[in-house]
Amino acid sequence: MSAMHPDRITAERLAGLAPGVAAIQDAPTGDGTLVEDPAVRAPLVLNNRSIHDVTEIVCGYCEKPPPGKWWLPAFCVASTFAAVGMLMILYLIITGIGTWGLNNQVGWAWDITNFVFWIGIGHAGTLISAILCLFKQKWRTAVNRSAEAMTIFAVMCAGIFPAIHVGRIWFIWMVFPIPNYNWIWPNFRSPLLWDVFAVSTYFTVSLLFWYMGMIPDFATLRDRADRRLRRGQSARVRLQAPGPVKFSVELPIVADRIRALVYGLLAVGWRFSSRHWHRYENAYLILAGISTPLVLSVHSIVSFDFATSILPGWHTTIFPPYFVAGAIFGGFAMVLLLLIPARELYPNFKDLLTLRHLENMAKILLVTGMMVGFAYAMEFFIAWYGANEYELYAFINRASGPYWWAYWTMITCNVVSPQLFWSRAMRTNPVVIWIVALLVTIGMWFERFVIIVTSLHRAFLPGEWHMFFPTWVDILIFTGSLGIFVSMFMLFMRFLPQFPMAEVKAVMPQADPHGHNAHHNGGGH
Amino acid sequence: MSALFPKWMNALPTLGAGAAFFGLIGVVWATWYWATPDYTRVGYMPTQPGTGFNHQLHAGQLGIDCRYCHTNVERSPEANIPNVATCMGCHAEERLRNWDIHRVGFIREAYAEDRSVEWRRIHKLPDYVRNFPHDAHVKAGVSCFSCHGQIMGMPVVYQAEGLHMGWCLDCHRNPEKHMVPPDKVTDLVWVETEWLARPIAGRNYNGVTPQQLVDSLRRSPPQTCGACHH
Repeated sequence: MSAMHPDRITAERLAGLAPGVAAIQDAPTGDGTLVEDPAVRAPLVLNNRSIHDVTEIVCGYCEKPPPGKWWLPAFCVASTFAAVGMLMILYLIITGIGTWGLNNQVGWAWDITNFVFWIGIGHAGTLISAILCLFKQKWRTAVNRSAEAMTIFAVMCAGIFPAIHVGRIWFIWMVFPIPNYNWIWPNFRSPLLWDVFAVSTYFTVSLLFWYMGMIPDFATLRDRADRRLRRGQSARVRLQAPGPVKFSVELPIVADRIRALVYGLLAVGWRFSSRHWHRYENAYLILAGISTPLVLSVHSIVSFDFATSILPGWHTTIFPPYFVAGAIFGGFAMVLLLLIPARELYPNFKDLLTLRHLENMAKILLVTGMMVGFAYAMEFFIAWYGANEYELYAFINRASGPYWWAYWTMITCNVVSPQLFWSRAMRTNPVVIWIVALLVTIGMWFERFVIIVTSLHRAFLPGEWHMFFPTWVDILIFTGSLGIFVSMFMLFMRFLPQFPMAEVKAVMPQADPHGHNAHHNGGGH
Repeated sequence: MSALFPKWMNALPTLGAGAAFFGLIGVVWATWYWATPDYTRVGYMPTQPGTGFNHQLHAGQLGIDCRYCHTNVERSPEANIPNVATCMGCHAEERLRNWDIHRVGFIREAYAEDRSVEWRRIHKLPDYVRNFPHDAHVKAGVSCFSCHGQIMGMPVVYQAEGLHMGWCLDCHRNPEKHMVPPDKVTDLVWVETEWLARPIAGRNYNGVTPQQLVDSLRRSPPQTCGACHH
């Protein structure tokens, strides 16, 4: 016994493996996390993992390629889409905005649809990292790192579209209030300028939050690489020819040396001293405080882009809360879309991201889905109650005009499909959750398309009526942004810590050996 | 654990912050100095065809009014470049003295061959402000001097002002700085020495003050985008 790690001894004792002590986890259903007794806290880490196991699992994702040969081919596909999208952006910049399907009437279409879509995706990360942190929701520790990463990448994708939609991208600096030789400023009364501030603040704070949270994990990765180097356990990088070819070449590079340097630089001298932790915790709380209003403000301001105009279909006071709810809805759908496959593809992922986590997020999908459903209904109610014939026409045209299929796709995906989650069996079934998350992601894209294009395509005079049809440049730039997003997320999954190790360890039973769990199980003090 | 990084690297964040701060100031200063029209455009003095046209001689010493050659400046947005016939009004062959002949030979040849002299344009505006209205400005009482400098002292004309948008707006926001009495618009020496050399409060021409000139405008100088970019 003396050779065992003390963490393991504690874990085994608490799990009832040590003699004379009752197990702390009773597992009535599923994977052990779906306990319904409100007096029993569902375990957030399964399989009686020791604290050391968590380190091994999480660091293992960064240090070894995932099992199976899926990563590189999948990355190649995603990055090919990204590259094609970037070539299309180059083509767009060289040739002009006319390569999109825009016309005199529909001046915003897929570009702003994609912008709002991607900005919305990011909101789940901010909500999880900020609001759930302040509310001390412990289950956030399993998803916050990847949700924050997703936020960063989604905001990066979002930033592409307003930048390229200005046409002459070399004038994009004019969106910032920079003193210039033209002696002019951006229009401070325009929500498009507020958008610049909102999105750039949002990106900066999210990036700081994400990076600062990773510093202790970078330090762990640095120390592990350094230890292997000093013990002579590090090997050189070997390149293996793909397929059946029997050929490999050893490069004069030691991966651990690169890891020690890169993770070491990223860890900015973190030494796990209690003074470091003390400041880290304070900084984390401050960032959570700064981010919390951002969850609400960013998408409110995005909605002002539309709501402050006088166009029927856009000029609506419900837009800010409606957009925020939709953003959180779409963001959680994207988190689930990414993490459910990761649970299957990575070893031991299910121990850290349990069915309980998925169920919680499915409940959020249900709630926010009904919030957007309420907003859709309210728009129609106000269009009728407001007795403005143009407003009423705009909404009737949405549901029954030439874009009826987009409207009803949106309703089906966003309002109908999450209703499955009233059923407990449905919201604890990862396949069902994944399919609903996919539908919601599609539905939320269509929501923005419906709001933008159906409002624009029929203005007050029938002479101004035009349809919008996307060109292949529209389509390839959108798939390119998907490719950029997936490529970056895959790089994150491969090289950065996917879980905040310290936070996961803090919600494990070992972190609280005399807490109420032990008491509940009669373990005594 | 072993030291992965040498100790001097502890100074890097401080050095980096300092470098970023001074680097930013350097970039702002360099942009302000080298990347603005005051550096890139002012002083542009292309070589003109033939022996060129000596404004110092014609407009300065001989006292020919600007409007003798630039005939449309009061009537048209474009202050036209005179055609060869205007030159020949004075430089017709029988009037030439012998010593002059090598200087104006290119004019005479162009006239004989019925072709234009390809004068090179100095004051170029971007195409989106192409129709700069000379007529409106001259009639409002903006002297040639304010935009073109002391043409009467230039043997070879060069660009004297940056012609950037902030420079336009400066005058449109504070027109009293550059308004002159309407009959003095082309009297560049008087404008430079008697009017603009004095502080605005000290300018008075037979009882006319800059504020009266501004008040006399039918329309105050526009500052909307569409005024110039239409």
